[in-house]
Amino acid sequence: MLDYRNVSLSCGGTLLLENINATFKKGKLTTIIGPNGCGKTTLIQALNGISKVTEGSITYNGADYLALSPGKRARLLSFLPQVRQTIPTLSVKTLVSHGRFPYLGFYRRMTDHDREVVQNAMRRAEIEAYADKSADILSGGVRQRAFIALQIAQDCECIVADEPTTYLDAPSRRKILGIYSGLRDEGKTVVLVLHDIESALEISDEIIVMNERKIVSKAAPWSIETADAIEDVFGYKIKRFEDEEGRYCVLTPARSV
Amino acid sequence: MNSSSTSSTRKGDRKVYLIILLFVILVAVFMAGLAFGSVSLPVSDIIKALSGGDKTSTASIVIRSVRLPRVTAGIFAGIGLSVAGVILQGVMNNALASPNTIGVGSGAGFFVMLSMVIFPAKIWLQPVFAFAGALIATLLIFALAYFADTSRMTIILAGVTVSSFLSAGINLLKTLNTDIAININSFLMGSLAGASFSSTRLPEAGIVIAFIAALFMARALNMLGLGEDVARSLGLRVGAVRFLLLVISSVLAGCVVSYAGLLSFAGLIVPHIGRKLFGNDARILIPCSALLGGSFVMLCDLLGRVLFAPYELPTGIIMAFVGGPFFMYLLLRRKGGRRINA
Repeated sequence: MLDYRNVSLSCGGTLLLENINATFKKGKLTTIIGPNGCGKTTLIQALNGISKVTEGSITYNGADYLALSPGKRARLLSFLPQVRQTIPTLSVKTLVSHGRFPYLGFYRRMTDHDREVVQNAMRRAEIEAYADKSADILSGGVRQRAFIALQIAQDCECIVADEPTTYLDAPSRRKILGIYSGLRDEGKTVVLVLHDIESALEISDEIIVMNERKIVSKAAPWSIETADAIEDVFGYKIKRFEDEEGRYCVLTPARSV
Repeated sequence: MNSSSTSSTRKGDRKVYLIILLFVILVAVFMAGLAFGSVSLPVSDIIKALSGGDKTSTASIVIRSVRLPRVTAGIFAGIGLSVAGVILQGVMNNALASPNTIGVGSGAGFFVMLSMVIFPAKIWLQPVFAFAGALIATLLIFALAYFADTSRMTIILAGVTVSSFLSAGINLLKTLNTDIAININSFLMGSLAGASFSSTRLPEAGIVIAFIAALFMARALNMLGLGEDVARSLGLRVGAVRFLLLVISSVLAGCVVSYAGLLSFAGLIVPHIGRKLFGNDARILIPCSALLGGSFVMLCDLLGRVLFAPYELPTGIIMAFVGGPFFMYLLLRRKGGRRINA
């Protein structure tokens, strides 16, 4: 449904992405992993115009995605960037209701339906209790969930998030990954960039491994291909084992330090 | 309008009471502005003059042709500067931004003086020139900050640079043209002394239009506050919205400068007082800052007229004397606890 065809991207003479070909399948959760600076963020930033594609094309259900108007794009695909330079001092509810912006008419009035969507989004992200709190006084995990609620309120078929769990503690990370896999279970197409390889393997339907501006492998999480790529790029071997309580995976260094 | 007021009625109620109180203050200051001055007039005279029942008495003439235009000019100056401040702070994402701190005021002032020098007879040109000057200064600062790097520091540095450059221009014009037909000191400090309906009609209309436009753009301004990338993902045309908002703030600041001179400070402190009282939602902050700003400028002008009557102090001086300590108090209080609007 979302296709990158021979996408290259350079900025100020520096090549940031080299001949990217990838398909993000409908209803699947795809996770992009790779070392810092390999181009993961640039790859998905190409979707919202912050990074400009210099060659190739991105299509959405066959239509040239980048040629669509910003409003139309915002109704098809929601994008949650990683670093937010500003922490809004708005109430959480106001913040989440911004997710309805692409649907509002000229007068920007919210309908009852919009309000209901916002309420549901806050319930999904479990932040109803914070609805009237100002976003700048929340803990990192709750604030991130407020932004995810904004993304849910945007109600798009395709949901993209850049490192939604970075800087958060383990319980917050689990909660957030749970929200995204729940969205996938509802039939949404989800694309994540994650640093946490174990979680990526656990929740994804497909793993894209990137290194040095290129895609190294695209495969199922527990495939040999993915395991090889992770060993190549990160220098870690994946060990899987099972007991009566469930399945586990552990990364062990393939080379000594 | 305020989406959070429905679920937390108590907090919403407090804001409603505050708004009503601000309205009462505005009306009170308006009436006081008409009543006091070099001569004090009773309220009955004011009502008679305003209702048009009496057009010939001295009191009526003083009110209708001197005080009313001046008080109105004060309200509009307050609205213009405060709303311009709210917008600039939002667009530049910087709490230090205001028409004066980033040189928009000096830009407008320089162009107003240019128009006085080149076309001394065409008073109607002054607001147009003021707008052009404000816009040029704003875009210059924005471009400087945008192409150099968008950090908050750069914007303020660029603003200070542009501001001193244009102030030098103002001083140059002042030095070369000793016969400019205005009181240059009150222009530089900001004063409403010369306000008459004929000179303020056009800029006031500009302020009204820009204010309405600002209300329409309030939600977009909020979205810019989420950060450029989030706003973009929500489908906001970030570049176009920023440009439009900068044009609006230039109209507001330029129109004020064209008749009130370089009134400073209201554009910086009124938005901050508004943020403390009403929070950062631009849909509420813009109208409430307008309300606050209108009263504040009118009050400062009134104090300037009555404190040392019959001598008159320029509004800008009073504004700095009243606003400065009050703002310092606000800054000190902030250290104690979390923000008040939470």
